Amino acid sequence: MSTMESMATPASPHIQQLVELLAVVSSYEDEAAAVQGAVERSAQALEAEVAAVILGDQVVASIGFPAGRVPAADLIDVAMRRRDWLDIPGSGPSPATTASWGGNHGHLVLARWGEGFSIEEQNLVRGMARVLELTLRMLRTLAAEHAMRQRGERQATINKQLVRELREHQRLLEHLFEIQRAISRRQPLQRILNAITMAAHELLPDDIVGLWLRVDGDPDRAELRAVVGLDAVQARKGPPVPLVDAGAAGHAMLLDQTVVIQGEGATSATGQFGDGPVYASLAAPVHLGGAVSGALLIASRRPRRLFTDSDEQTLQAFAEHVSLALTDAYTVQRMYAAFHDSLTGLSSRSLFLEQLTDRLARTDDPGRLALLFLDLDRFKEINDTLGHSVGDQLLIVTADRVRNALRGEDVAARFGGDEFAVMLSGVTGPEDAMSVADRIITLMAEPILLARQRLRVSASIGVAMDTPGSTDPADLLRRADVAMYEAKHNGRGRAELYAESMEDALGSAPRGRGGAPAKGGDGVAHPGR
Amino acid sequence: MGPALFPAPAAGARLSGQRRWMGVGRSTHPDSYPAALAATHRALVGDEPKLLIAFAAITHDPATVLAGLRAGAPGVPIIGCSTQGEIGPEGTTDGSVTVAAIGGPGFEVSTAVATGVSGRQRAAGAEVAVCAARLGDQPHRVLLLLTDGLLRDQEAILRGAYGVLGAGIPLFGGAAADGWRMRDVFLLGGEQVHGNAVVAAAIASDAPMSVSVRHGWRPVGAPMLVTSSGDGRVYTLDDRPALDVYLDRLGAPREAYTDPAAFTEFALPHPLGVQRRDRIEARDLSTSFDLSGRSIGGGGAIAHGCLTWPMTSDTESLLAANDAACRDALDGLNGRDPIGALTFSCSALRAVLGEDGTRRESAQLSAWAGAAPFAGFHTYGEIARVRGIEGFHNHALAVLALS
Repeated sequence: MSTMESMATPASPHIQQLVELLAVVSSYEDEAAAVQGAVERSAQALEAEVAAVILGDQVVASIGFPAGRVPAADLIDVAMRRRDWLDIPGSGPSPATTASWGGNHGHLVLARWGEGFSIEEQNLVRGMARVLELTLRMLRTLAAEHAMRQRGERQATINKQLVRELREHQRLLEHLFEIQRAISRRQPLQRILNAITMAAHELLPDDIVGLWLRVDGDPDRAELRAVVGLDAVQARKGPPVPLVDAGAAGHAMLLDQTVVIQGEGATSATGQFGDGPVYASLAAPVHLGGAVSGALLIASRRPRRLFTDSDEQTLQAFAEHVSLALTDAYTVQRMYAAFHDSLTGLSSRSLFLEQLTDRLARTDDPGRLALLFLDLDRFKEINDTLGHSVGDQLLIVTADRVRNALRGEDVAARFGGDEFAVMLSGVTGPEDAMSVADRIITLMAEPILLARQRLRVSASIGVAMDTPGSTDPADLLRRADVAMYEAKHNGRGRAELYAESMEDALGSAPRGRGGAPAKGGDGVAHPGR
Repeated sequence: MGPALFPAPAAGARLSGQRRWMGVGRSTHPDSYPAALAATHRALVGDEPKLLIAFAAITHDPATVLAGLRAGAPGVPIIGCSTQGEIGPEGTTDGSVTVAAIGGPGFEVSTAVATGVSGRQRAAGAEVAVCAARLGDQPHRVLLLLTDGLLRDQEAILRGAYGVLGAGIPLFGGAAADGWRMRDVFLLGGEQVHGNAVVAAAIASDAPMSVSVRHGWRPVGAPMLVTSSGDGRVYTLDDRPALDVYLDRLGAPREAYTDPAAFTEFALPHPLGVQRRDRIEARDLSTSFDLSGRSIGGGGAIAHGCLTWPMTSDTESLLAANDAACRDALDGLNGRDPIGALTFSCSALRAVLGEDGTRRESAQLSAWAGAAPFAGFHTYGEIARVRGIEGFHNHALAVLALS
């Protein structure tokens, strides 16, 4: 792979599209199409050469082998975990992975030349297997119901039962589909987690449904992140509790397996579900990056509540989706961090420079692109006297105000410390760019309430326009920087447009970034600061 | 005086007694029959010819080209297609017939045609792939595919072929072009001229053959999330109309938002990058946009939740990727010398590289090929499946090296 082609963002971003693929599999209308779709979609998303679905001891769909020459015995060995590799035609021995369902009745097998499957990818294969299981179950119920209808009214009672089951399966799949869509559309994580617990509760209306997640940095404790089935007065999300005190959910997290507790012992020691007793609870673990990160729980106040296989499968399906939502959110978080300043959410310096370089390289209409370089006045003083936390708050407010002064296509970045840069594309000329700078100055002049004080903070802004024939971003930055120092020199809280004459004024000062005077600490290097 | 009607092959170019050989011939004769005939004669440099692969400008009459090819090589299977420029050792041309021939006892070839492909792309891919089953037991194989470049969902054609062949046989080929007219391409196969078709040749050899593909595009800025897509189109990126987000992110000129020609001009050098497991693929947007619906094309493999990027490049990066594609293809021959190569390059690359860049591309291909002949065309899509199950590319160079 060349450098460009191999450029990939952190944390396996291809996972995102896989979530969508689950939704596709759950929309097939017959069994053959569903298994073939699962095989192809999973191979496509994981870039695997080989994929297969095995039901019982039959390979019912596969891809990657020549027609009529499918090595069924080898595929079944992988499904039964007797081997973890497959001979891919044209490539040779390659890593394989599998996920099973229905008491080891169904299996999805994948093999890929080269590197093995990551933990996230294996999670996804499990999620895919779970959705395929539910889809197949629903399709079979649908077929059975159809057959019954053909036989007439005599079968009315059985038929009624089938129709009820069918409706339940359908509702489950619809819920899962909605959840998958919500994940792939990047809805906020907490909203997705709430939606999952609410969907589970809708299918199990007599029970309480709660989602426990381990606490970041304190994996021996967990907190209740979402709960449905209790009224607000009874629901006590409360502080994190030790895993051993979290009832069936805690056990599921400790053992990494589905756990059932029957009888009054099902009540958790900390009473998150109010004062009434819980007679039965069922919990399934959820995962992030291969580790148990929480558990989804259903709890019942009915003394004789017995959980069925169907309840367990439903809970596990929702738990798998919690894992997918967590993985997705974590991936997005890491990816976002790679391109943005973690404090203000503005573009990172490297992203900004990349965009500036590209824009300058492509411009064929000089004088339409402006760079604003902004430095807060007396930031160091505030930081030293009121503390770093207040300083950080001030930077966040500054970023918001800069954002509010810009149009959609403009880009703002935090360059580090109290320095910000803004790229304005498509301005009509220097006056237009100066009007944006003045707008930022005006917004910044509004008092800020921080640490119970009304702070007045100003900013100095240097403005530089791109010039014909110059595509060097460093030169543009340098000129904006020089103009910013001129603004400091001229009394702060103002904007200055770069002019060549400014270079002479700064000629004798020590040079720092981009040729402007060295900063050497706030307000030190230059007489104007 | 006009061009000679029946130019003889270059003196000393015969490769008699070779176990495997490849020859390339070209004619710029304006009339289709003599052009095809002359190119064929020049390409037939050895004994036992097994396959002719013809690349003809859209300005030629396809039936007459076929007749010329047939007359030049009676009984030899023929596949071919129209182009957006023909590639050969003498450079890239517009208006020529360029023919590659392979032969010798070390090659075996079987050809197939699927017609009426629109709406049944997958079945068509499976149909043509069956021709590989008719080959003998030589250890090295490849399926060469030429498709109608105006068809949608080319990926499904490859999926159909892959379903029959499995991972053991690489897929290589290109989507026929029509000189940017975007109206009709033509394909040659099974002694007939076709549109809305796929033609294929399964090639078996007793020596290695190697497929490679590279693009030289890099993503710009932060990724854009596909928030609505379907039927080969992307409707929204980051929950805003996809076309506007794409143009905004690249700081496109105002006219590109409203004028189709301006959009095409802007989009050609700015494909959409689509994140895959370990790389970013380039997808052409220049011809499949919808200014009124504000959506963009990009093919069938862009799902909800996909990460996409605006992409950019420059001549040096594009040529560097070509170098890498040639190097990969030659490396795949396990130390053997190439006897020839097929080189399929995206039409958009030609537009981006311009005349000078395209000349440099030709010189670059010649340098890699050395004494070996090569031929190909500028495509509406490149086919190269080596890993995974996908193999349809845009804005790339695909190479098949033969040894």
